[in-house]
Amino acid sequence: MPAATRAYKPHRSAKLRVAGALLAAASSLAACNSKPPDPQAALIAKGKEIFFNETFNGNGRTCGTCHREERNFAIDAAFIATLPKNDALFVAEFNRDLKQNFENPRLMREFGLILENLDGFDDLPNKFTMRGVPHVLALRTSIVSPQGPRTGWSGDGAPGDGSLRSFAIGAVIQHFTKTLNRVAGVDFRLPTDAELDALEAFQLSLGRQADLALPLPLRGTVAKRGQQIFLDNGLGKCNVCHGNAGANLAAGNNANFNTGVEDLPDQPARLTGEKVPRDDGLGRPGDGTFNTPPLVEAADTGPFFHNNAIETIEGAVAFYNGQAFNNSPSGKFLASTDPNGVGIRLDATQVVAVAAFLRVINALENIRQSIELLTQSEALGFFEGERAKPLLMRAANEARDATAVLAGAGLHPQAVALLDESGKLTERAESSLFSRRGLTREAIKVQEQARAQMIEERK
Amino acid sequence: MRIFLSGIGVAVALLGVISHAHGQKETERFIPIGQSPGVSQKHTSIGEIAEVDQQKQMVTIVEPAGRRTVKITEKTRIWLDRTKLKQTNLVGSFAELQKGRRIEMKYADPESRQIADWVKVEIAQP
Repeated sequence: MPAATRAYKPHRSAKLRVAGALLAAASSLAACNSKPPDPQAALIAKGKEIFFNETFNGNGRTCGTCHREERNFAIDAAFIATLPKNDALFVAEFNRDLKQNFENPRLMREFGLILENLDGFDDLPNKFTMRGVPHVLALRTSIVSPQGPRTGWSGDGAPGDGSLRSFAIGAVIQHFTKTLNRVAGVDFRLPTDAELDALEAFQLSLGRQADLALPLPLRGTVAKRGQQIFLDNGLGKCNVCHGNAGANLAAGNNANFNTGVEDLPDQPARLTGEKVPRDDGLGRPGDGTFNTPPLVEAADTGPFFHNNAIETIEGAVAFYNGQAFNNSPSGKFLASTDPNGVGIRLDATQVVAVAAFLRVINALENIRQSIELLTQSEALGFFEGERAKPLLMRAANEARDATAVLAGAGLHPQAVALLDESGKLTERAESSLFSRRGLTREAIKVQEQARAQMIEERK
Repeated sequence: MRIFLSGIGVAVALLGVISHAHGQKETERFIPIGQSPGVSQKHTSIGEIAEVDQQKQMVTIVEPAGRRTVKITEKTRIWLDRTKLKQTNLVGSFAELQKGRRIEMKYADPESRQIADWVKVEIAQP
């Protein structure tokens, strides 16, 4: 027994020495990997932390309560149905001070609608609007106008100078308050200048950083036709306001239009019998106009329009055929410039083709983002698995979105199969200790194959 | 045809710019004096009310840069900043613009600084 003990001791210390050497190697490797800190990256990281975790001493909500990362920085009724009862989104259901005139829980749960007092806080039971949650992707390309930044659905979402930087203050006052008194320092604290800087940097870092350059060399027959219609200023006329399927006019700036969405008959929220006052858009009193959102990100961020009136991308395209649009100032204006006096008139196959085009460019953007995230993850060293996990999760989410967006209209079945495979590889990479980087490389390759099914590579 | 198409673009651009983007003034009411992001100090004056001319609807304030007389119009939003009392801020009227009160003023035209776009008056005592 003593001999055995003696024999064991040196063996144990050898093990410890090996472990020590491994640790030393790990720390020296980590030291080799460490790059000089990038101030912009640090600011973005700080903004992300604030966006998802900072409640500003309010009712428990954060920016991420409504702008969910796993839902493309928006939220919808299907996702809301999965949340626990005590989620801060439902604060009006369990905070007595917010029970009245803060949210409409029924409309929130059924249609993903949020209450906003855009026309003032002096008559809370009667003056409010019910709006969907817009995603915050591609903000860098979509809020600049000669008249100043256009944030939120009507372009006037921010107090102060109206900038994206100031937006968070308005959001805290509107959505984070503990009571309807909305007293700074009591019901919430206002974000500091440093926090506003960080939040702005984070939001500007999300999604596309530049507009597309249409036409794209698409492979799909229907999507290709959809792109032609989209770009045809005599037929689809979509590109007039959504230049390059973004949020800007041809001149490159964002603008507001009255497209008649408020005049749609049978709006889902109003069908419930709940009070839903007319939303008058920009200003007080409003001028009936709303901000043009980017379309590249549309197909996986429905429901559509400021009031979540339409659930599908096909329905959203079809809206422009209807009376509500064609009788609106924008519709009439388009008609006045048309040799035949037509605003927009598309047949069902053309509606589906435009929607297919929007689905395909959305999926291509999903793939771009997914590959970007996979590449970032792949670049992380062996000992940085924990940092890689969230990147891989987001990459898998993007692949899933692309799959859903394409499969939802029977588009590019081969690409769908590849995206599905890539998603599985990414999930395996997420849980793998030794093969993470290899699996990630494979996932990238498969996503590139999926992309090649949808678009010719530019030479 | 090309001229017609580019004409649509120009015309729609003109239709679009009719609407002017501006800050959401309604949540502005709850922002205490001096804390409006991107506006306070840059585009506002913060000082004390020195004179009030009820008839002309003019207010003279003393700020570090000197005295300034500004017109209050029907469009000017007046808010009562009761943050120090830990009470909700209210919509106010010209009558609340009283001599000696602390005030922040944003101008309708930041260059000429003659007409107030909004005014916050501090109510520090109940």
